[in-house]
Amino acid sequence: MGLSNALVSELASIVGAEAVKSGDLDRHLYSKDAGVIRGEVSVVVLPRTARQVASIVRTAVAHGLAVVPRGAGTGLTGGAVPEGPAILLVTTRMDQVDVDAANRTAWVGPGVINLDLSNQTASLGIHFAPDPSSQAACTIGGNVANNSGGPHCLAEGSTVNHVLAVEFVTAGGEIVVAGSGAPDPPGLDVRGVMVGSEGTLGIITRILVKLIPNPPAIRTLLIAFPEVRGAAATVTDVIASGVVPAALEMMDQPLIRAVENFVHADLPVDAAVVLLAEVVGHEAGVDVEAELIERIATDHGAFQLRRAADADERELLWKARKSSFGAIAQIAPDYYLHDTVIPRTKLVEVLEQIYQIAERRNLVVLNTIHAGDGNLHPLFAFDASDPEAVTQVNQAADEIVEISIAAGGVLSGEHGIGQEKRDLMHLVFSPVDLDAQARLRDAFDPEATMNPKKILPAGARCFDFGRPIPEGAWL
Amino acid sequence: MTGLRSTLGKLVGGSAIEIDGAPAADLSVAPESAEQIATLLDFASEHGLTVLPWGSGRHQGFGGRIDPDVIVSTSRLAGITEWIPDDLTVVLGSGATLGLLHDQIWTRRQSAILPETSPEATIGGVIAAGVSGWKRLRYGPTRDRLLQVKFVTGDGRVVTGGARVVKNVTGYDLPRLLTGSFGSLGIITSVCLKLWPVPEALATVATDDPDRALAVTHRPQAVLETPDGVSVYLAGTAAEVEAQAAAVGGEVTAGHSWPDQPAGECVVCIRVTPVDVALVVTSLTAHSFVAAHGVGEVVVAVDPSEIEGLRERAEAGGGAVVVERAPQAVYEEIDPWGTPPATIDLQRRIKAAFDPLNVLVAGRLPGNL
Ligand SMILES: Cc1cc2nc3c(=O)[nH]c(=O)nc-3n(C[C@H](O)[C@H](O)[C@H](O)COP(=O)(O)OP(=O)(O)OC[C@H]3O[C@@H](n4cnc5c(N)ncnc54)[C@H](O)[C@@H]3O)c2cc1C
Repeated sequence: MGLSNALVSELASIVGAEAVKSGDLDRHLYSKDAGVIRGEVSVVVLPRTARQVASIVRTAVAHGLAVVPRGAGTGLTGGAVPEGPAILLVTTRMDQVDVDAANRTAWVGPGVINLDLSNQTASLGIHFAPDPSSQAACTIGGNVANNSGGPHCLAEGSTVNHVLAVEFVTAGGEIVVAGSGAPDPPGLDVRGVMVGSEGTLGIITRILVKLIPNPPAIRTLLIAFPEVRGAAATVTDVIASGVVPAALEMMDQPLIRAVENFVHADLPVDAAVVLLAEVVGHEAGVDVEAELIERIATDHGAFQLRRAADADERELLWKARKSSFGAIAQIAPDYYLHDTVIPRTKLVEVLEQIYQIAERRNLVVLNTIHAGDGNLHPLFAFDASDPEAVTQVNQAADEIVEISIAAGGVLSGEHGIGQEKRDLMHLVFSPVDLDAQARLRDAFDPEATMNPKKILPAGARCFDFGRPIPEGAWL
Repeated sequence: MTGLRSTLGKLVGGSAIEIDGAPAADLSVAPESAEQIATLLDFASEHGLTVLPWGSGRHQGFGGRIDPDVIVSTSRLAGITEWIPDDLTVVLGSGATLGLLHDQIWTRRQSAILPETSPEATIGGVIAAGVSGWKRLRYGPTRDRLLQVKFVTGDGRVVTGGARVVKNVTGYDLPRLLTGSFGSLGIITSVCLKLWPVPEALATVATDDPDRALAVTHRPQAVLETPDGVSVYLAGTAAEVEAQAAAVGGEVTAGHSWPDQPAGECVVCIRVTPVDVALVVTSLTAHSFVAAHGVGEVVVAVDPSEIEGLRERAEAGGGAVVVERAPQAVYEEIDPWGTPPATIDLQRRIKAAFDPLNVLVAGRLPGNL
């Protein structure tokens, strides 16, 4: 459904005609993110300023339309895909960067590309720690909205640990700032709740991010194991030793083989799994830490240890890790990437179950795992034109969620809930828990203007039989 | 009140208790479970009673004064429920003390990176007050380690937010919302924390140049200044600690010993951007203080008459001056928080979403919320 001409011209009067796209082609191009769900877009707007965003929100409210924010559209859960008549608000033109080197912070627009920020601050010796594999394309606004992670979040935490303040436009069309460059601003942590809220509580128009010092020294190790158990035990023992590596990633054999064909990094294709470990810090410490990891790995049966000799080799190893998705294309035209988290100590048994699911359903599964924090990314390669394969992949997805939760885990560690996992939320939360989250959402956006039908399943606000609020009570 | 007292006593399956240092209340109780607290809060909502949650009392100096009908102590929710060292997670009751937790997890050289000098404080109180230890320069604030929170809302619902895993984006971040909420949204009954392994070597180095210390070390745990000088707290492998200590160049002491909280009747925390710490320190003359360089926190004993001036300067730079403890009269004169935050309307609606009848600590938060 397109919009009335009156509305299009109203939006054009806010952002300029060339920043409003209502043609069929544009509406189609923007109707999907990098996941599998397609929606319908009424009109696309590309504002440049927070005030424009506020005007767009007020216009949407006046016309009873929802507003769905979108960054680069690399999200995997349909988070930026409208599920009903909506204005799609694309932030890519909001790409201002203001660095405060002395405080190691920067105010950035939500449309700034993740990698661009760290490239811009490289000469100052500081960087933005969250490094999703999509970092060359995804926006910081999207990172904040999804509380995205990346391999280096093991030691540094996800996006939320690196956001000091957010400016956002409320459902009422007001521009407010939550948080501060000073620690612990008084009052409730509205900033903390905005991060990870997937566009459902407001539209983020500016972000104060923390930038951390680039490490003076780095050692990157690739360690091959004949079985998963030894690699998992290595992960546990390394962390128990008091060394928290900057990254501790695991790739399984099917993935190693696919990637090796693609990047030719001389990867150990006979290994059941490899660990990619990185230690960073003072020059005097990194070799000691690297040796410690190698010793622990050897004790657990590692049969090949490789330490990147220089920056080029390090980059090659990381390229191998981060190009998994490109590599899959050689195997099958489509892939379905999962994201669940389990307690780290359950890794071996859950991975074993994932292999069994794939075998039973005759699917190709490849695993890349943020092993240090138990974040699983099983990836099914398949051909979406084969309906049977699609059915099997979807059913396998549900099974993976079930086994993860049975192991004490959750639905998502970094990709978010969006539409994809919305209806699975009851698997981890009780009706009362979901009701509390729905109340929180209502406190921000009572009319559900902001990215409706994401995160919470329909009917989450089901506990309306609470105590009646007396007339004239406090709110 | 007698009827109410015995009804409430029955609801929580025990008799009234005495709490040292707590404000006068009609009744103080120590429930044994989240469910008992839920029954009690439901009752309080029905009868319009005001409720103050109480841990050790260590952080009750923050915020507006409360004149409660009922005080709910967490002292019977004081156990460590489950500690899985290999997952680096621990679940504990909100009444468990930092000392108890430390003594247990130190046996595997693990730490929850909580305030270093208040072993008597309860974990529920630390989370509710949102206070952090000095090592936040390296590890971030306490809120970054709260993985899961179980709490009872003002209208008596037992809610769990977050999960027992170290990385999670499943649903809204209730753990962060509850951190620093001072009991205004609910009474925290148990939490799951992320732990960190304690590095092999620890050392403290004296210096007189905090900026240089921050520049020549990589990710020190803390750089603290007191009237006695500046100390750099290093941790890591022995080789790394030794090399960094040499780079700083001052006298080296093995281990970490943390400064005491400033002595005085009226203590405030000045919160500014990291670069402004040096300025604040210069303005403090005969004061007892601890300043966290690189973080932006200066805890200082002041004369109450100084607060407004300090606050004006801090707020002009986007910071705040927050009263941590003071004689009663000070609260009558001075707002313990300062200018309310820009999101105050939103915060009012959030409070109402969790405590619709406003039975929990009304007036404790900024903006008299
Ligand atoms: C190849 C590939 C690799 C990936 N690797 C990782 C990885 O390693 N780690 C990881 O965590 N993720 C990864 N992702 C997922 C994705 O890249 C991240 O979720 C990313 O943060 C999304 O950013 P985006 O700009 O593309 O956001 P979009 O997809 O455009 O939007 C994502 C969500 O954010 C909301 N949103 C966007 N901008 C705003 C705003 N300004 N205000 C409010 N809400 C907003 C949207 O409504 C939507 O709900 C990967 C994706 C791909 C395709």
